[in-house]
Amino acid sequence: MTQTISPLLKIVVGIILLIVVAPLIVPLLMSISDTTYIVFPPKGFTLKWYAAVLANPEAQDSFLFSLKLAGIVTAVSLILGIPCAVGLTRFKVPGQDMVLGIILSPLIVPLIVTGVALLQLFSIMGSRATMLQLVIGHTVVCLPYVIRSVSASFVLINRNLEDAASVLGAAPHVVATKVVWPQVRPGILAGGIFCFIVSFDDYPISMWLADGNHFPIPLYLYTVIERSFDPSIAAIASLMIFFALLLVLVIEKVFGISLARLAS
Amino acid sequence: MQSAEKAMPFDSLPQGTETPDVNQGGSWFRIVESVWSKFSVTRYTGVFLVMPALFFLAVWFLWPVLSMIASSLSAHNVNGTMVEGFTFENYMRLFSSDLYFRILLRTIRVALLTSLCAAIFAYPLAIAIARGGPPLARLVTITILAPLLVNVVVRSYGWQTILNKTGALAWALKQVGITNPPVLLYTEWAVLIACVHVYLPFMVMPLASAIARIDRTVEEAAQVAGATRIRVFLRVIFPLSLPGLAVGASLVFSLSSAAYVTPQVLGGNFSPLLGTLIEQQILTLNDWPFGAAISTLLIAMVLAVNLIFLKLVNRHFARWTETAR
Repeated sequence: MTQTISPLLKIVVGIILLIVVAPLIVPLLMSISDTTYIVFPPKGFTLKWYAAVLANPEAQDSFLFSLKLAGIVTAVSLILGIPCAVGLTRFKVPGQDMVLGIILSPLIVPLIVTGVALLQLFSIMGSRATMLQLVIGHTVVCLPYVIRSVSASFVLINRNLEDAASVLGAAPHVVATKVVWPQVRPGILAGGIFCFIVSFDDYPISMWLADGNHFPIPLYLYTVIERSFDPSIAAIASLMIFFALLLVLVIEKVFGISLARLAS
Repeated sequence: MQSAEKAMPFDSLPQGTETPDVNQGGSWFRIVESVWSKFSVTRYTGVFLVMPALFFLAVWFLWPVLSMIASSLSAHNVNGTMVEGFTFENYMRLFSSDLYFRILLRTIRVALLTSLCAAIFAYPLAIAIARGGPPLARLVTITILAPLLVNVVVRSYGWQTILNKTGALAWALKQVGITNPPVLLYTEWAVLIACVHVYLPFMVMPLASAIARIDRTVEEAAQVAGATRIRVFLRVIFPLSLPGLAVGASLVFSLSSAAYVTPQVLGGNFSPLLGTLIEQQILTLNDWPFGAAISTLLIAMVLAVNLIFLKLVNRHFARWTETAR
């Protein structure tokens, strides 16, 4: 393979990557500043802002609530999404293109608009079940991703393996568990993880549907940024960045799924 | 399992594949199997499987969005209650009021500039992913995608800490002798910078896959024929990557025109976009029909851009890219 990248391009790429990580590094540096205001470069060293954040019950509640919400949304999306993906890829569905169009349409409409529309519907219905509303709102957004990811893995299956197993006398359930499942597992896993992340990080749906008792962590972060100016915000931001790094490690090492696949 | 009917030759089983244990399961499984095989031949299995998800999205997505569009067109009297009738009044307000029209123009401007800047930054990165060696490609991919896992509120806040009066950029400029730099925070520039950063991955990935599909021999032929690297980029890589650029640009435009968090955190109340206007009209002023009209306009904008970029660009360049290959 010939070297097709010029050194100049490498330098440019290096500079852009530095700019890309800068907004994630600077809060880290500011979070250890022993001052009562945000300043760069940080003065002194302290971990008291981290201690303050970790001991804050509001922050804990929001974090745990978001984990719970994302978990439920992932489960619902997988339960609805996997059969749908199987139906779309392995069976004949009348009006297949229209069905696919409806299923993928939430990806085109801006999230903030989907949120407004749901809020309008829920208030016309007189619904007060905030948790249920949030689960529905997040699932609307996550379901298309799950269906797309799982469908892709069913399309990529090597059908010859199934035929071979059947010819050799394997019962359908054996084919399903020993031949099909290992091939679609990565796609289902990737869809589930992506769904979890989308729900956990969602702002534009939650901003319409949440209330004081059901307050996801992105909304909490936003209110903190709006109302306080000490380095504790930088500490929360840093904790969220550490959490994302942990997620990257878990996804790549434990599940063995590359980030590129998750994003596709 | 329709495919089971087509018998395949045994040698189509790849070497080293684990042969499934066929002798599992007793009579219970045979009953299930016979029921399943009768069930699966019906024409409706696909419909049954697709139905729950389809129904869910029809009720909780199509219905609310369509009824919101309808409510944006329905007339309402002075105290806000809806009455029978059909009106474009809500849309006229958006265009007749100078304040609202400025917000609309700013949204389009920011979204277009974000797409343009994202494309400029994305090309070097996409070329590095598609053409650099595996270590470089992996480093760039991870560095570009990992921030997607960081919440958008945190990423926007990160730019606040850089663009602040006491932030990292002011400090860095001071080190090189610029003591009184312009404050960027709470301006349209800050919104633009952060939007480019937040939505850059959505430009890089389609571009990288488009560039990876370009036949290397075309580039090599151009180089052998004496073209400089810049010329190779302008005459080979850029035109052949246009389908990827179209996908990336329509994604970035759609996302940034509907952005809410980033403009709020970095633009404050000084440069609101349409997202902020929707939020104010609905949550603060309780003007549902007008909020619905702005939302509908946002959908129309995003749809139009997607159609224009994807359909037109693809139609015009598909033939070109085919023959160029």
